[in-house]
Amino acid sequence: MIHLVHYVLVYGVSLIFINVLLEQLGAPVPAVPALIVAGALSRDGKMSSTNILLAALAASLVADYMWFLLGRRYGYRILRTLCRISLSPDSCVRDTEARFERWGLKSLLIAKFIPGFSTVAPPLAGSSGSGTLAFVFYDGIGALIWAGAAVAAGRAFHRAIDRLLAALENLGGWALVVIGSLLVVLIAVKWAQRLHFLKQLRLARIEPRELKAMFDRGELPIVLDVRTPGARKHNPRAIPNAILAHMDDVATQLGDLAPHTEVVLYCT
Amino acid sequence: MLIDKGYTKVRPLAGGLDGWIDAGFPVEDVA
Repeated sequence: MIHLVHYVLVYGVSLIFINVLLEQLGAPVPAVPALIVAGALSRDGKMSSTNILLAALAASLVADYMWFLLGRRYGYRILRTLCRISLSPDSCVRDTEARFERWGLKSLLIAKFIPGFSTVAPPLAGSSGSGTLAFVFYDGIGALIWAGAAVAAGRAFHRAIDRLLAALENLGGWALVVIGSLLVVLIAVKWAQRLHFLKQLRLARIEPRELKAMFDRGELPIVLDVRTPGARKHNPRAIPNAILAHMDDVATQLGDLAPHTEVVLYCT
Repeated sequence: MLIDKGYTKVRPLAGGLDGWIDAGFPVEDVA
């Protein structure tokens, strides 16, 4: 029989560190469940809340600082690479840019609560030329708020979590099989959703050569540049005759255009 | 958003502006 809780207690802080590190590096391994369980164990006096938070903080800072440096070195290219593996590459780049431009480094305080933004915000901070100390300050506080919320939830619901852990322990070695299977199923479902979404997105897109061919044939679709002001400043070029639009009021800018007009939009 | 407003032919450009530039197509200065 495997004493699951025993191993969690012995290696708990290390597991938290590795789990948070992997998640913040971009791996599809959720860290919040482990933080909640650790929080419940800390409520029972079996783990130290301080150590859990320090492990989560250290792992977050290591991973985020790496992305920050990559962002500083490679600029928007690293952001595009990250967003390419997200569910919606176009909205990913545009939305994260817009959010970061609006809130600046303060967005790091809540970044970890927003799916997709957590991994993208640090390289964005790096590419925007933010200072290292300010980045570490806001990112560290953000990590503490995020991990603290999960640990607090674990402490609040510790009785239910204790019952779940006891049930898993009764399963012995099968507990690891159950947990591993759930993780594999979770990743497989997310991956299938992503592939399906990307397939739909590919079908709906227009390739650059196709747009160029339209221009060459004399067809003039409405081309909208929906990049953020920061992205335009970073790369002050545009497709000829493109309308510089803001995504929030793009419909107003189009005015009374016929509904069947061909519209092509692009971001970074 | 545009599709919600009734526009039926709305397509994002694959690869964005970088994809257009990488393909060697012309751009204009907006600075």
